[in-house]
Amino acid sequence: MGAILSISTTTVGEAIRRRVLLVILMIGVLLISIVPALSVLSARSDLTTTISSMLFVLRIVSVLIAIVLTVYMIPNEIERRTIYTILSKPVQRWQFLVGKYLGAVLALGLMIGLMAGVMLILFYFFKHPPMERMLDLLRQAILYFIEVSLLAAVAIFFSTFVTPLVNFFLSAGVWGVGSLLNPLYDSFANNQGSAPIIRGMAKFVTSILPNFSNYDVKNPIINPGVTIQNETTYYLGTAGYGLLYITILIIAGILIFDRREV
Amino acid sequence: MASEPPQGGVLPLGAAIETRQLTKTYKSRALGKINVVDHLDLQVEEGEIFGFLGPNGAGKTTTIKMLLGIIYPSAGEGYVLGREIGDMDVHRVISYLPERPYYYEHMTGMEILKFYGALFGINDKDKFQRLLEKVNLAGDATKTISQYSKGMQQRIGLAQSLLNDPKLLFLDEPTGGLDPIAHTEIRDLILQFRDEGRTVFISSHELSEVERICDRVAIINKGKIERQGRLEDLLRGGRIEVIADGLNQGFADTVRAPESTVSFHNGRLIVDMSEEGDVNGLLDGIRDAKGQIISVVPRRRRLEDLFIETISEKKSGGEAA
Ligand SMILES: Nc1ncnc2c1ncn2[C@@H]1O[C@H](COP(=O)(O)OP(=O)(O)O)[C@@H](O)[C@H]1O
Ligand SMILES: [Mg+2]
Repeated sequence: MGAILSISTTTVGEAIRRRVLLVILMIGVLLISIVPALSVLSARSDLTTTISSMLFVLRIVSVLIAIVLTVYMIPNEIERRTIYTILSKPVQRWQFLVGKYLGAVLALGLMIGLMAGVMLILFYFFKHPPMERMLDLLRQAILYFIEVSLLAAVAIFFSTFVTPLVNFFLSAGVWGVGSLLNPLYDSFANNQGSAPIIRGMAKFVTSILPNFSNYDVKNPIINPGVTIQNETTYYLGTAGYGLLYITILIIAGILIFDRREV
Repeated sequence: MASEPPQGGVLPLGAAIETRQLTKTYKSRALGKINVVDHLDLQVEEGEIFGFLGPNGAGKTTTIKMLLGIIYPSAGEGYVLGREIGDMDVHRVISYLPERPYYYEHMTGMEILKFYGALFGINDKDKFQRLLEKVNLAGDATKTISQYSKGMQQRIGLAQSLLNDPKLLFLDEPTGGLDPIAHTEIRDLILQFRDEGRTVFISSHELSEVERICDRVAIINKGKIERQGRLEDLLRGGRIEVIADGLNQGFADTVRAPESTVSFHNGRLIVDMSEEGDVNGLLDGIRDAKGQIISVVPRRRRLEDLFIETISEKKSGGEAA
């Protein structure tokens, strides 16, 4: 446990110093701050547009950070030979991979936390929204955190066998398709009008790919009509789904990484 | 060679490292399958400094990585401190300094030791302090690695490699790319490790530095061991040149030593003879003949010569075959 913990804290220390990530993070914070400020100037904009725009920025920036952070994580360790020093200590490969992944999750938590904090403060300051709206934003930020934790697991899994560049597009692709799963499911798999083979394929794809659209429920523009019957059940359900999926990905990654030459 | 494989992973006392026909094969598009490490039989005794020498690309790093379980052998077997390679327990008592290592640049020297210490479950500030003192970095403990010179980085690397008080250290090109002063510092530390009873396995392609400190060496080229043994034995066959004056032709005619050349000119005698010949006898003879000894110069073979010989022999041998 000590080894995993110190590998992950060291990973956080490195991540929060990576210039690319800091630049993306700063752009994110900037965009998130501009939205509520601008909305004060333009009379037409309502709470819904503001919330939606802020969440859109938060999500895209978080996803970008998650991918950029994780695709290089393992390859960098190998290229700089830091992994050799670590693996020559009594550290198993699975401990290394888990430590790296937890470090990525912690770093993502810090960065999303920062953006979400700025978002909430400025939203409150400029729009004086009802408390319920604030809580909605907070809940959505937490869902995004789970979403990018899952995405980070996808990228770590791929990084055990593909190069960073390929991984970047693969992970982005998986996220892209995964965020459209609910609409895809509705138009193909669940559509009695489409051919059985298409329905079958759509069912297969939608059940095997990680479903990222589950994590974007609170965006009032993307999901206008969505009302969640039982909030607690929903959050626990999506969190559980994410955790299960992450576990499977990390175990698969470990199995590949264990056999691999580094 | 016909001995039974060790039972229960226990080797006869004394061997810190033993490999039997250890082989690593890589496939390349141009050359097909190549044995980068080719049926290697190594034997490293406990408590010695062992030099693993060879030109770039000889297979040194690949061998070390196999011994550490970082990559997997294609064939053959290897034992480290009596355990089969890959055994995690061994990792508690060995350590490794990779070639051109890199340390997380944002960390200070002290933080590096804390980080690597944590991987062993060691959190002993006094110990970290002692190690920093040992490698002469106590004054730089709070500087970040990005502020360290190459030599300082190598020394913090050596400090981290001592965290677990290892019985066996693998140092891959430990003096590579360092200036002469840093070389000397590293060499002194390595000698100190041996005095503390540790076994040190050094890989290097820079011979002059290594030859002064190694007890035994193996020369590897293209994945194969060419020579292996005590440095004195491998370097045997040096020559000695004796120059004396005030002698006559009659004396010069009596000088006879195997594999020697004798020249005599105007009373000056120059004998170039094998180191193994009777040098003392010759010197006594010169004194008895009232000659004057001007110089006795041993021209020892250097590791460098042996190295070049070995590798060029290999080249011409390869062409003949
Ligand atoms: N992963 C690999 N795939 C293919 N060839 C490799 C790989 N790693 C090393 N080699 C080749 O193996 C040979 C030996 O490499 P190495 O052990 O690093 O040599 P040394 O440390 O003695 O300089 C080199 O020719 C190198 O190109
Ligand atoms: Mg090497």
